[in-house]
Amino acid sequence: MTAITEFSIAVQKRVGRQRLLKAFKVLLGSVPFIFLIILWELNTQFVWFDPIEIPPLSDVWGAIFFLQSDCPGFVAAMQQHNDCNLTNNIMSSLGRVILAGVVGIPLGIAFGILAGMNRTISGYLEPVGIFMNSVSGIAWIPLAIVWFGVGWETTLFIMLNTIFWLIFFNTMMGVRAVPKVLVQGVQTLGGSYYDTIKHVYLPGAMPSVITGMRMSLGFGWRALIAAEMIGGDSGLGFMIFVSAVEFKTEEVFLGVILISLIYLISDRYMLVPLEKWTIERWGLVWKPT
Amino acid sequence: MSGEAKLIIQDLCHHYPDEYTGESVHALEGINLQVYENEFVAIVGPSGCGKTTLLNIVAGLLPYREGRAMVDGNEIHGPGPDRGVVFQEHAILPWRSVARNIGHGLELQRVPKEETRRRVQEYIDLVGLSGFEDRYPHELSGGMKQRVAVARTLCADPVIMLMDEPFAAVDAQTRITLQDELNRIVMATAKTILFITHSVEEAAFLGDRCIVFSRRPGQIKTEIKIDIPREERVWKDMASNPKFTNARDEILRLVRQEVTSDDEH
Ligand SMILES: Nc1ncnc2c1ncn2[C@@H]1O[C@H](COP(=O)(O)OP(=O)(O)OP(=O)(O)O)[C@@H](O)[C@H]1O
Ligand SMILES: [Mg+2]
Repeated sequence: MTAITEFSIAVQKRVGRQRLLKAFKVLLGSVPFIFLIILWELNTQFVWFDPIEIPPLSDVWGAIFFLQSDCPGFVAAMQQHNDCNLTNNIMSSLGRVILAGVVGIPLGIAFGILAGMNRTISGYLEPVGIFMNSVSGIAWIPLAIVWFGVGWETTLFIMLNTIFWLIFFNTMMGVRAVPKVLVQGVQTLGGSYYDTIKHVYLPGAMPSVITGMRMSLGFGWRALIAAEMIGGDSGLGFMIFVSAVEFKTEEVFLGVILISLIYLISDRYMLVPLEKWTIERWGLVWKPT
Repeated sequence: MSGEAKLIIQDLCHHYPDEYTGESVHALEGINLQVYENEFVAIVGPSGCGKTTLLNIVAGLLPYREGRAMVDGNEIHGPGPDRGVVFQEHAILPWRSVARNIGHGLELQRVPKEETRRRVQEYIDLVGLSGFEDRYPHELSGGMKQRVAVARTLCADPVIMLMDEPFAAVDAQTRITLQDELNRIVMATAKTILFITHSVEEAAFLGDRCIVFSRRPGQIKTEIKIDIPREERVWKDMASNPKFTNARDEILRLVRQEVTSDDEH
């Protein structure tokens, strides 16, 4: 017993308590996934479901190589060579997410700040914002197809429309919640109107802006997949749809897993660090320990 | 009084319009007040008598229509760095470190970086926050936050410093320390200060002059001179200083009159 305790203390000293706790958290989080994978493998063994309904894990893995089989190599994949089926679809979805984010997020923040600070502007924009937000991103797909036809314009429009209104609304609410005394403090230090935006409203609205980004990523990604299925000619959503029609279930599984992975990675490696760097460091949110 | 008047207020009145009932709240009536260079003027008065209203007008945060208000000979229009404010609530920015909060005024006035650094360090030392330069406000105690707020205002070098119950939100023990410190800072920096408080003790301890307000609509009821040299103003000696106890008891009597007099309004 004491040997075990001593060992664990030694390990803690060596690796560091924080790191160990983090590793433990990752381990906890992967338990459900491991459980699912075991079930999945058992299904392959005992064939509770037909392989056409739930294909074996190895087939899903194999689909990666099948889809990329004609791809001449890594460089060609990066250059979106015609035969690099899988990477092309991934990049096409990712590209639109990034483009929509790069355009939609700053635009939403800018209008959100203006509307949050100015009663007249928010008087104009709030009703239309509520109206646009109440119609879910997906509901626009038929109309967007009529306007832009099947293709990347439609999917980009759906993304932008979803992201912009979410960011706009959250930023506006965040700006309104900034204590007036902080603004007055900067004004009495000689700050201009522009200074109050830069030094008070923008950082003060940050918790809401990040919430807006997180919602945008979730809703936007989903809307994009749906748009690609119905009104797109490329992307992971398009791939899933085509594969399902052709009963290539392993490709459908692969697509779904990739979509979730990309979402998970962008949340962990973009939003979480942003959160740590801003609102957690400033003590604006409750920090779990 | 020696020196020139830094703040001049003439026949100032203020009514707040009430959006819902259409009636207006009469907050200030016929205020005449001058604050001279290097003078510490304390204002006491019952709750809701218009003290914050007066301070906000001087700060330029509240527009006024009746009467005049001038700082350094200039009519007050909107907020400006010549009037620094220490607010009752914590008004320092949570997203700026201690040093960057204190240097914010200089940054906004585009003072060169090197000079800003030097002056910020000077005020950090003055308020006793050395070693906390890179901390964020949420890592500080209430008293430390208010020290940052005081240093931030001082560092911008205003003509007059306006303080609205700056120590009301800290515990009694910290308040005494902060009052002693403020005294020391006033001696070191020779600032002109308009200081609002609920506490009669605080007014008598800090003020060269104490203005007693009547109930709403706020009017100046009396003013009391407190002729104690700054060097003698230390809490541990104050209880036995008859000048202090007399001034305190007199102010207390006047404030009590206002609070307990019949409801005639
Ligand atoms: N924005 C406002 N609109 C309408 N009435 C107001 C407004 N601000 C203050 N008042 C009213 O004006 C009067 C004076 O308020 P003020 O805040 O100046 O009082 P105060 O002396 O600072 O009180 P306290 O000591 O409690 O801080 C109060 O009766 C208050 O209700
Ligand atoms: Mg007040």
